[in-house]
Amino acid sequence: MLIPFSMKNCFQLLCNLKVPTSGFKNQVKSGFILQSISNDVYQNLAVEDWIHDHMNLEGKPVLFLWRNSPSVVIGRHQNPWQECNLNLMREEGIKLARRRSGGGAVYHDMGNINLTFFTTKKKYDRMQNLKLVVRALNAVQPQLDVQATKRCDILLDGQFKISGTASKIGRTTAYHHCTLLCSTNRTFLSSSLKSPYQGIRSNATTSIPSIVKNLLEKDPTLTCEVLMNAVAAEYAAYHQIDNHINLINPTDETLFPGINNKAKELQTWEWIYGKTPKFSINTSFNVLDEQSHLEIKIFIDIKNGRIETCNIEAPDHWLPLEICDKLNSSFIGSKFCPIETTMLTNLLLRTCPGDNELHSKWNILCEKIKGIM
Amino acid sequence: GCLVILWYKGNGNPSEVPLGCFFVLGLGRQGSDSCFLIIFKEPEAQGSNVTSPRPPKYKIGQACLARPGVQNPCPLPALFRPCRGRKARGPGVLGEAGAKLRADPAERPGRAAWSPGGRWHPREERPRPPGSAADSESAPRRGAAGRRPASRGWGRVVLPLGPPTPARQWFAPNTPPRAAGTAARPASGRCRALYPVSARPRLRRRRRDAVPDPLRVPGVQPFALCLPEGELPSRETFPACINNSSVFSVRFFRTTAVCKDDVITVKTPAFAESVTEGDVRWEKAVGDTVAEDEVVCEIETDKTSVQVPSPANGVIEALLVPDGGKVEGGTPLFTLRKTGAAPAKAKPAEAPAAAVPKAEPATSAVPPPPAASIPTQMPPMPSPSQPLTSKPVSAVKPAAAPPVAEPGAGKGLRSEHREKMNRMRQRIAQRLKEAQNTCAMLTTFNEIDMSNIQEMRARHKDAFLKKHNLKLGFMSAFVKASAFALQEQPVVNAVIDDATKEVVYRDYIDISVAVATPRGLVVPVIRNVEAMNYADIERTISELGEKARKNELAIEDMDGGTFTISNGGVFGSLFGTPIINPPQSAILGMHGIFDRPVAVGGKVEVRPMMYVALTYDHRLIDGREAVTFLRKIKAAVEDPRVLLLDI
Repeated sequence: MLIPFSMKNCFQLLCNLKVPTSGFKNQVKSGFILQSISNDVYQNLAVEDWIHDHMNLEGKPVLFLWRNSPSVVIGRHQNPWQECNLNLMREEGIKLARRRSGGGAVYHDMGNINLTFFTTKKKYDRMQNLKLVVRALNAVQPQLDVQATKRCDILLDGQFKISGTASKIGRTTAYHHCTLLCSTNRTFLSSSLKSPYQGIRSNATTSIPSIVKNLLEKDPTLTCEVLMNAVAAEYAAYHQIDNHINLINPTDETLFPGINNKAKELQTWEWIYGKTPKFSINTSFNVLDEQSHLEIKIFIDIKNGRIETCNIEAPDHWLPLEICDKLNSSFIGSKFCPIETTMLTNLLLRTCPGDNELHSKWNILCEKIKGIM
Repeated sequence: GCLVILWYKGNGNPSEVPLGCFFVLGLGRQGSDSCFLIIFKEPEAQGSNVTSPRPPKYKIGQACLARPGVQNPCPLPALFRPCRGRKARGPGVLGEAGAKLRADPAERPGRAAWSPGGRWHPREERPRPPGSAADSESAPRRGAAGRRPASRGWGRVVLPLGPPTPARQWFAPNTPPRAAGTAARPASGRCRALYPVSARPRLRRRRRDAVPDPLRVPGVQPFALCLPEGELPSRETFPACINNSSVFSVRFFRTTAVCKDDVITVKTPAFAESVTEGDVRWEKAVGDTVAEDEVVCEIETDKTSVQVPSPANGVIEALLVPDGGKVEGGTPLFTLRKTGAAPAKAKPAEAPAAAVPKAEPATSAVPPPPAASIPTQMPPMPSPSQPLTSKPVSAVKPAAAPPVAEPGAGKGLRSEHREKMNRMRQRIAQRLKEAQNTCAMLTTFNEIDMSNIQEMRARHKDAFLKKHNLKLGFMSAFVKASAFALQEQPVVNAVIDDATKEVVYRDYIDISVAVATPRGLVVPVIRNVEAMNYADIERTISELGEKARKNELAIEDMDGGTFTISNGGVFGSLFGTPIINPPQSAILGMHGIFDRPVAVGGKVEVRPMMYVALTYDHRLIDGREAVTFLRKIKAAVEDPRVLLLDI
């Protein structure tokens, strides 16, 4: 019987009875299962944003399955310098993206499935979604020992993390997305999520590292396709909808008007690096100067990805003080980015007199500074 | 009078109905002109997951009197307490003057009063506060009403507060029982109301037992209303609703609890799933204008990001939690001053001006890709449609000025807007002026017949592509020609060291090629060009172009350089004077190739001609050397066999 939610409370009061809520739960008869044909992390994140902003999910929960080419995705309020190895990622061509939900940093590649559960704010229930995933895994492989923990992770054999969770609650809709490790490259995972940068002090959200394992290692039949189909089937059964996976193209403007702008915004430097909470770097490195090591100290404050205050202290006999000051003042206001630094230092170089020794010292200093970006 | 019962939900959207539960009973015999309002509040559902950013319109402490014909109920005093006897009464609002009014209560016929505990008791059962004067006075009083407000003047009525409570609690919850002789008024300044008591004799008894006790409804939690602390009712604030004919003449007065807040404090919404605390991340700052439902901050709880929208249009007054600070559900987050007007979208239409990259003008205009007839398009260069430009001021600059001029400005618009120069531009400006001030710059021109080179390229480009997997462009011809000429005229490859007043002659030739990237102008250097042939040069140029496009140029790629070549021809420039790139001594500027009638062998022929310009530092290079240098370049480009024959 369809009793409006508000009247349900009335009944509780007047009759002093508890009306069971289970009778109302499975009223949804419509919903979707979507799968993205794109492997671009920015486009897929844009789809999530689009569904969150534009779809009315009343009575229509949506499941979205997607996989990405190798990339690292950090949470909304995280610090990329603290969370991942940016130099390695630039070398290997691993992309960096910042998602709009909170949580920690994750490594995605084609061996990792992402599942996003879209519901209204009232029906938001992460444990229910994770239990659904666990049931799906057990349906494929009943001997699999997978458990959802209180922190909304899924552990394999009680100790290996195979899934992490993040979510976002808006005004009317909410989404909960989680990963599922099938056959990820574990070396890249651990090396790209390990930050070599020292001396960073910030109050950004930190990630909690865990030991991970691929489901494929446990059981060779659990490929990505199998798992995606299993989760979709379980979702369809639970919500009593058609078990039909709709393939969507995230660049299709007719289906998702305005989505390309969202994808572009997710790729801008301002979003990926500029949204880092304020942090400061306090580190030092050594340079070789005629058989002796000199220590150069760096104190930089960074806000919105741009250098606010910069204090590079080099010994006076090695690099003249006025050049240090020029360097310091020129950095203020520029982005904390190696390319930007290169351009700046190159320009500065040309304003200095042509002294080869000075130039070489300058080069060394700038290379070291770029190394911490 | 009429009785109004209002029932509303305790959770959900903020309601317009008072939160508290109270009731006023006054059954005037002769009909009062007051209505009575009974309002019940449901208990809150457990574990509700709802955020209610908006505070209720009425706060606890406000009660409303609805009168027939009165649109906006005026607030009732919160607590009502039956009047005690004379001794039990404190100074009251009127102070000593009031005491006089209340003189000799025993003489005056009292009124039936509210019984303590909100219930009508038969007199015998009525709980008495210990030591109150009522005990002694009750006997001589007549009527079953028991203790009555014995005199005219101000009395106090206490709101019934739930099931019968021990006597000590009947005037205010949590207030300790009053010792005999002390002020009847609770010293803590808790809520109280005063009302003038009618002095008229009450002749009829009220049937108290007939009064239903609304507080007995199961499941309903009545609230204790109280005025905010420190609020004292004053006579002046009483709306005049004395009703002399009723049993009670109650005057209700407005509390100063703000009905309509101008400054609202927004609290943290309740967290879902029994999460206790989260971190606040601010999106807006103090002083920002926000629209209703615009996100002001995000609260990150246990991997979940919850948005906190603004409840109304307004300006943020203060942020009560620092960025990254921990909050729990219900913690005040920020205060908002309502303005009622939505903020205008303050994005200037002159975004294109900001969008012009801070670096060189060359990048802003993607020049119309030159037609194939202008073969100065350098294929391996990055952002293939982006041309090479000279560094930094060149004939190109005027071409880029139009994009900076506001395209959206219609005719007749005369506004202007200012934009701060960013550091890159400041530095470039500074450097350019330095160059101009130190060097004695002047320019010499010549023209080059490009037909031979074009023909050579057309003949060999496929073989070149097959062997080297590179496209054969014109840049390599000019770079090689420049290297050749520099070897012949080493003074152009030299530089003046101002510090030591020496001329530094260099044996190596590093040619900087100006390249426009999305990030700005970069000038990568091709090292040791004297040892390279066309293929090597093309390869190096393409590698550098690739690096520049991927923004991977290192400092050493851009450092040094003894000579610069810049190409303004892709924009279609005919003629121009490049500016020297310090600390070098000369720069070669290439311009566009245009078909022109020229005199060849006594006849007029149409040939593709390109003007070239050499700007040089006259402190070091004399006119003769500069002109000879340029003629050598012309010879080497017009006929590459000169390079082979070394003539």
